[in-house]
Amino acid sequence: MSRRPLQEPTFLLLTALAEGPQHGYGIMTDVERISGGRVKLRAGTLYAALDRVAAEGLVEADREEVVDGRLRRYYRLTPLGGDRLAAEVERLRQNAAVAAKRLKLRHRAIGGLP
Amino acid sequence: MTAAGGLEGGYRRLLRWYPPSYRCRHEEEILGVLMAAAQPGQRRPSTRESLDLLWSALKIRMRMTLRGADSQPWAAALALVGVLLPLLMLLLKLTEFLDRGAQYGFGSPADILIGAYGDPGAYAQSFQLNPHSVALKGNVTDALTAGPLPALILAALACLGWHRAGAVFAAFVPLAYLGISLTSGYTLLAGPRGDVTLYAYGLEALVLLAAADAARGWRALRWRPSALLAAATVAAGVGMNGGLWPLFHAAPANPASAFRRVANVHRLASLPHGFIDRTFGIGAGGWWRVWLVYQGTLVAVIAVALVTLLVSSPVNRRALCLLAVPFALGAVIYLCSLISPPLPAPVGNTLAAVPLLLILLTAMALSLGHRPHAGPDIPGRPASPGDT
Repeated sequence: MSRRPLQEPTFLLLTALAEGPQHGYGIMTDVERISGGRVKLRAGTLYAALDRVAAEGLVEADREEVVDGRLRRYYRLTPLGGDRLAAEVERLRQNAAVAAKRLKLRHRAIGGLP
Repeated sequence: MTAAGGLEGGYRRLLRWYPPSYRCRHEEEILGVLMAAAQPGQRRPSTRESLDLLWSALKIRMRMTLRGADSQPWAAALALVGVLLPLLMLLLKLTEFLDRGAQYGFGSPADILIGAYGDPGAYAQSFQLNPHSVALKGNVTDALTAGPLPALILAALACLGWHRAGAVFAAFVPLAYLGISLTSGYTLLAGPRGDVTLYAYGLEALVLLAAADAARGWRALRWRPSALLAAATVAAGVGMNGGLWPLFHAAPANPASAFRRVANVHRLASLPHGFIDRTFGIGAGGWWRVWLVYQGTLVAVIAVALVTLLVSSPVNRRALCLLAVPFALGAVIYLCSLISPPLPAPVGNTLAAVPLLLILLTAMALSLGHRPHAGPDIPGRPASPGDT
């Protein structure tokens, strides 16, 4: 079955969980840091995305704790989620490699013009 | 009230838009994230935060409906409607058939299956139908909408739980009708009764694809005798009053008064009357009595049946909303057909065909986008013991 590419917020969400389990606010701040401040997930969007990737079996609940009277639930990447992220990374890497190669050839061609 | 208290209350009010089962598991958690992400001194949710939460609540609701855990009322309602709707259509066709047959004769078995009657000429004349509608092409379109055969096939497929075959058939019927009607130059707006049937079949295709439990077939009805009873009552009420005609019939010769066209009292007096009228001989009375007997009885019977359904359970309430869709669309089409001067045929056809095509397109999107989901832990469901 051909897989659709991951959307960027989903890609960043899975990337945030690749290092280890994180809670909602942790994911939110991590996604912003990974994207250099470009992608800011709001709480509603974050939980709708978590709901979707959990339904697809890419992410699952890890543990809960209460901090300052507030419930925190941690999420972790499932093995399936890890595979999906790895496949996406490979896809992006291949695309980037081809793009870089062609840009290099283009520079050479332009540089080689009289 | 403190700023934090006001802010938290604001967030909680927005979180009420999420489905109850989702809130039960995630409300405190999301609230924690919202409060942690709030600006210092923020007193109430910002517009963007509010829109984000409302939009996400809508997405989660739609997803949970389509995902269809059995505990979800919408999923159970979809499974229920998947079986109930073709049964309701079948009952409507049968009661209407018995009523018409009693007046015009039952004809040959083939006529019965295509919804024609012993004396099609008299039947067509009494409704001022286009003579073509009982001729060759008309036989096919009548078989698709007026006859009981499509409803019978669909009810059998739905009850057996063959939901994919049922969905394909349910989509085929209205599309075939549309194709034949439009190439034959019929004006769809002129036949709101047929439109209700078409929308019902279109909706059935959608429901059979959307309901995760559609494969259970007739078992969806097992604990819902009230729903079946209500459907039977509505069908009996409609059939005994001479079909949906008293509600869905416009008098083309009298464009002057919208009320008279809606109530349509003079036409009613000359319409073939239903079982109630023939039994009690009320049709000879004044026009207001005719109106009262036809519209009044029909509306009262339907209202009682629907209220019974409404109050009985959340699943039935949702099923009722779904069942109302084809009738509501039919009513809109009916009101459009009353516009004076009448709409040009292309506009009328578009008006009548677009809702059906939208329903069928949604069904197609569902069937293409339907992927198995086997996530072991979905937010909104209890965590498995291994998670902690």
